[in-house]
Amino acid sequence: MRKRNRQADADEAEIDLTPMLDVVFIMLIFFIVVASFLKEAGIEMNRPDSNQNPPETDATSIVVTITGDNQIWMENRRIDIRAVRANIARLLASDPDQSFTVKTESGASAGALVEVGDAAREAGVKQVNWPAEEKK
Amino acid sequence: MASGRSGGAQDGGGEGEIDLTPMLDVVFIMLIFFIVTSSFVKEPGVEILKAEAVTTSACDRGTIIFAVNATGDVYYDKKQIPIDRAYRLAEAAKKEAPKANFVIQADVDTPTSALSDLLGVIKPLMDAPLCVSTDDAG
Repeated sequence: MRKRNRQADADEAEIDLTPMLDVVFIMLIFFIVVASFLKEAGIEMNRPDSNQNPPETDATSIVVTITGDNQIWMENRRIDIRAVRANIARLLASDPDQSFTVKTESGASAGALVEVGDAAREAGVKQVNWPAEEKK
Repeated sequence: MASGRSGGAQDGGGEGEIDLTPMLDVVFIMLIFFIVTSSFVKEPGVEILKAEAVTTSACDRGTIIFAVNATGDVYYDKKQIPIDRAYRLAEAAKKEAPKANFVIQADVDTPTSALSDLLGVIKPLMDAPLCVSTDDAG
């Protein structure tokens, strides 16, 4: 009884799994090697559609301009980068739903742009808009 | 059936017959995990001094990565590319992974005009705000 049972086992159930295991292991190693667990981190910036109204016509909008020599202008005065956050926070306090736009002029550096965007996000704006630079 | 097998192991297979099934289960689960998580990111492969930002947060599914270095050259997939080719490369990458979002790595000294041009080129393909890669200042 037991003997017949073993024989039947050997005939149908005992498939040699070794080749499949080889393949599966090679696939596993391939995917482990290829998987790059790199996570990019950064700040989000929105490019408004060019057919929208230019933001300066919108009365309730905070606009910061970065000039070509990395000066930061806001409400017609030049301000220091460290003062950007406080100024935006002050404007946001009156109307928390204001949109925020940072405009750059040709020659500004990405570092200044990121710093302004960062300050705005720190102050609590929902979205940093960065429209295309005007071509001269 | 169960009694038959255990009897067989007792008198015959005490040495060679290891039950591989649990290991196979584990291996398959690992395999499926790595297949699912692999996203095949093409890294720009250029050294960039990123700006620091306090509000740095993870770029959600940001796997299409362009880099713009301090002189305004655009890099993608370890090659410098002309700005005109950026659209076609971005389109191909977007077709391969429709849910992927765009990331731009910009140097602190990168002129914003170069960044703006690149953003203008890939803007039609974007369905989420651009993620400008930064280092966490915290």
